[in-house]
Amino acid sequence: MAISLKESIVFGFSDFWSRKVRSLVTIIGIILGTMSIIVVLSLVNGINKQTLQWMMERGGLSKITVRRNWRYDNPNKVRSYFTWKEIKLIRSLIPEAKYMNPQKRYWLRHSYEDKEYNCSIYGVLPDFSKIEEWDTEDGRFISEFDINQSNDVIVIGTKVKEELFGNKNPIGQFITVHERRLHVIGIMKHRYMKSNNIGSDNALGYLNRRTFVPLSTMIHKGTGDDNISSLALKAQDAESAPELRKKLEAIILNLRHGEPVFMIESAQEEAEEMAQSQKTFQIIFFIISIISLLVGGIVIANIMLASIQERTREIGIRLTVGARRRDIFIQFLVQTVLITFIGGILGTLVGLSLLKMVSGYINIELIAELSMVLIALTVSVGIGLLAGIIPAILASKLNPVEALRYE
Amino acid sequence: MASLIEVNDLTKEYKMGKITVPALNGVDIDINEGEFVAIMGPSGSGKSTLMHILGCLDTATQGEYILNREKVSHIKKKKLASIRNQRIGFVFQTFNLLPHLNVQKNVELPLMYAGYSKRKRTELAKKVIAEVGLTDRRKHKPSELSGGQRQRVAIARAIVNNPSIILADEPTGNLDTNSGSDILTIFSELNLKGHTVIIVTHDAAVAKRANRVIHIVDGLIENGDIS
Ligand SMILES: Nc1ncnc2c1ncn2[C@@H]1O[C@H](COP(=O)(O)OP(=O)(O)O)[C@@H](O)[C@H]1O
Ligand SMILES: [Mg+2]
Repeated sequence: MAISLKESIVFGFSDFWSRKVRSLVTIIGIILGTMSIIVVLSLVNGINKQTLQWMMERGGLSKITVRRNWRYDNPNKVRSYFTWKEIKLIRSLIPEAKYMNPQKRYWLRHSYEDKEYNCSIYGVLPDFSKIEEWDTEDGRFISEFDINQSNDVIVIGTKVKEELFGNKNPIGQFITVHERRLHVIGIMKHRYMKSNNIGSDNALGYLNRRTFVPLSTMIHKGTGDDNISSLALKAQDAESAPELRKKLEAIILNLRHGEPVFMIESAQEEAEEMAQSQKTFQIIFFIISIISLLVGGIVIANIMLASIQERTREIGIRLTVGARRRDIFIQFLVQTVLITFIGGILGTLVGLSLLKMVSGYINIELIAELSMVLIALTVSVGIGLLAGIIPAILASKLNPVEALRYE
Repeated sequence: MASLIEVNDLTKEYKMGKITVPALNGVDIDINEGEFVAIMGPSGSGKSTLMHILGCLDTATQGEYILNREKVSHIKKKKLASIRNQRIGFVFQTFNLLPHLNVQKNVELPLMYAGYSKRKRTELAKKVIAEVGLTDRRKHKPSELSGGQRQRVAIARAIVNNPSIILADEPTGNLDTNSGSDILTIFSELNLKGHTVIIVTHDAAVAKRANRVIHIVDGLIENGDIS
């Protein structure tokens, strides 16, 4: 006669219950371990992601911008804008650039019926939408045809739409800017990114307060001049962006006889610089992650191992009254699995809700990725299982007297 | 008639690092079914060592132990577990109860490993708990009991599977005279019911109740067959 597998599992459960306090303490240890690992890993990841997301929202890492260099005081009064001819020359010298958008900007009053709204209006090419990776929500963006014909069309941001049209559909309506009636052909997608500045909830809100017209329309029908103050380009990919930036810098310096009146920046290089300056942070974060893994693991192992002596004696007693090794193994397996899994699941839940709280507090979106939950569970459940079962296996291999005498 | 227990030239050495400590130096014993045997000897003479080997809780270094005509050294581990469970009841000086289980559960332990149903376990355990006079303490934890009561729980646990052999290693060593004497009465009664009882003791009074006293000194039997 001996007990069945099913019965030994039942005994494992009842054993778990008969020592509620110890089981609870161990579960709490595993909850703390799992929780701290999840929170720290997600915190580190969230902060890193925030930076990267900002870059991505601004057109990605392959973007290059050319702007006036305000730091250069320009003693020889070199022209600090490009002419349309120069733009065409530059474009022909860098065929490897995927997109290029020269732009002009004004701050003008926009009016529709009795409503008025003052905001930035940009003269752009169709490439703008490609470079910024920003398309229209409704209608369409400015096309090559609009450029060639210098069409009187305008694309507006969501805030502009809201201010001038409210709930009315603006497409097909006419906005008056600078005494010229512009046909509304599109509404840009709403831009939003959670801000970590107190006082503004949308870090990208300024983009929604812009309007766009064909650059040719602005040059020929608006100001009458072709002074282009800034350029944006997109390299084939992030890796080739620094190369393209250097080439562009050389071309532009050449055009201005070596005077640095323009600033040429690549997002990739900025990101690299940022990454460089963040390196210390990242190392600290990395160390914190490792420490949290260790601490979590040690807390769990410690609680499990603390009871080895008691458990080994218990195993001795059970062996004395006729338990087989298998019975002992199953009893401790069931107990340990119960404890670690309950602890692991609760720890994950507590960790996730804690993250939510922290996330609201520091205004960074912290979402635990599946991989982090898995890492945390692997570490805590893994260590819990090992620390619970290995001593039990070793103890069950002792003969009963050795186990009883264990100190 | 063959002996229930037959021990020939039994040797036990403990290894402590590089030193080997001899505990039994060639012990011969025969014990028949139904005997009440007292083992006496000075501290450190090897009594516990012998009892552990007889109880299949430990193995000898050399020599033969034949239990019920079967050589123990030839028995598989699984079968040994079942022998400890079915045929031997062991009572320790230090009780060795599980502290987190109540009296009822402690006594049920051997029945669990014997594979009895819950109903049967409850019934059998209740019966032996009544026999040792602890019915009103069934739901108590060991820490809530006196030494004598704990030892009675341990005895109940040892006899619950109705083993043919009961081994007790200084069962009264931790008890006062009164409760010690109660415990010994229980062992006498068990012997009268047909259990073979082997008991280690320092107490000459105990030895008087036995059919036979085995004296052990320095791991050797002194005058084995004098009653
Ligand atoms: N686990 C052990 N390791 C080393 N030596 C031991 C161990 N157990 C007992 N001994 C030694 O074996 C001898 C016999 O011990 P034991 O059987 O406990 O004697 P008794 O029970 O008669 O007092 C003693 O010298 C003791 O020190
Ligand atoms: Mg002893």
